[in-house]
Amino acid sequence: MRPDRREDDEVRALHSVLGLLNRADGSAQFSSGRTSVYSGVYGPVGARVYDEKLDRAYVEVRGRADAGPAGTADRWTESAVRETFERVVAAQLYPRTMVQISVQVREDDGAVDAAAINATALALIDAAVPLRDTVAAAACAVREDGSAVADPTLEEIRDARSIHTFAFAASDVSNIADLTSASICPIYVDSRGEFSVAEYDRCFELCARAAQRVLAFIRTAIEDKVSKESQIAGSS
Amino acid sequence: MSDVTDEKQQQQVAFAMHTFERIHHVEFQRRFLTQETRHDGREFTQFRPTHVVKGAISTAQGSATVRIGNTTVVCGIKAEVSEPDVNSPDQGYLVTNVELPPMCSARFRPGAPSEEAQVASEHIHRLFNGTAGSKGVVDLRALCIEEGLAVWSLSADIVCLKYDGNIMDAAIVALMAALEDLGLPSAQLDPATGVVSADRTKAAPLVLNKRLFPATFSLLDDAYLVADADDAEEQLATASLLVVLDASNRGALANMWKRGAGRVSSQTIHKCIDCAAQRMEALIKTL
Repeated sequence: MRPDRREDDEVRALHSVLGLLNRADGSAQFSSGRTSVYSGVYGPVGARVYDEKLDRAYVEVRGRADAGPAGTADRWTESAVRETFERVVAAQLYPRTMVQISVQVREDDGAVDAAAINATALALIDAAVPLRDTVAAAACAVREDGSAVADPTLEEIRDARSIHTFAFAASDVSNIADLTSASICPIYVDSRGEFSVAEYDRCFELCARAAQRVLAFIRTAIEDKVSKESQIAGSS
Repeated sequence: MSDVTDEKQQQQVAFAMHTFERIHHVEFQRRFLTQETRHDGREFTQFRPTHVVKGAISTAQGSATVRIGNTTVVCGIKAEVSEPDVNSPDQGYLVTNVELPPMCSARFRPGAPSEEAQVASEHIHRLFNGTAGSKGVVDLRALCIEEGLAVWSLSADIVCLKYDGNIMDAAIVALMAALEDLGLPSAQLDPATGVVSADRTKAAPLVLNKRLFPATFSLLDDAYLVADADDAEEQLATASLLVVLDASNRGALANMWKRGAGRVSSQTIHKCIDCAAQRMEALIKTL
């Protein structure tokens, strides 16, 4: 029985706010239960000459944790977001520019890397940066007894034998019934602790299923935004 | 006469090949990959020769030098006495740091640690310290001298001397070897003065919870999956996968880390796990 009485494969209540930073080209806050992350996107903007790439945009990610001095843990969150989105952003359309992504963890109650990736996915769409695919991430933890639980809280992570974060593209997992298929390609994998290949496979499937839910949530959030904007445009 | 022209032709061919490598780096690598070989003649699943030497640094309590092909990494562990954290009064510290100084490669500029070094440091720190539920490689309680007052703090510095790709494998092997080489001096806290005295002549090895063996695979040019990519091959990598196995737990997995947006399917990941197991067997034999 999980502390918050969720089912093993149940994700926490998802919540998002789009366009909350009025200076950014696009922004989003994504929350799963109490875990909450802000993401702001600026771009494409001019790149520093040092960072310019001749054939594509340079994707920069700046991350900050919720508390404490800047450290290598921030670099970790940045790395998770950058590795996921560097090639998902259609960067060849904007050579010699920069897409700057700023990630700020508001509260960490577990699965914060997944929340950062999801917030960034929403922020990039909010900023109308062309993307190859929609991306969603999910995390899960394997308990002492070997059972896997999706979207773990910090308490569940502390007692876990292994923690797993996966990011998937919509074209890979949306409308797919069999998530154990050997041909599914995860975009990002971060599994740590002590686990068997069977446990890894179970977590893969669990996170792919959770990612499907997040993708559906992202879709709804964007549809809401678009319909609101068209109402405003229609009434003016 | 024909010998001189042959020699001259060979020199011209070598010069042209070298120029080609510099100017069309990607095409140069493709010439080999499409023929199912690599520019240094290795098979796709072949790792470079790996050498480990322990105890190279006499001033450190534990040390090791690792060479994987041309990549050379040295790890030194210093043990210092410090106060424990209020929340965990019976636990010491294992602090890890990966340095990629400018001397190891033209890629790294002087100044603040590069992104790559910071991410590598953080990854190694998480891998070796574990989560609370899964123990780390070192039992931090074994580092306790006097609960609440004095504990050992192990500072592990992993410095790259020569960079030719695959820093993660080299760093993990080096840190594991240095931990195995570590002799912790027996220490006692004098309750009256609060001074800890350590006897270096009576050094005991640490009992390690895990024995980690890494294997890195890179997806080159979005199509070719190779093991242990060197610096030239890393330039073409669109994705990389690090698999770490724990020999002390019948080859259970300790880490799976896939980066980059190159497509690596679930099936390929399973093949990599098998290849990593073979690499572990090979490394165990050489160590």
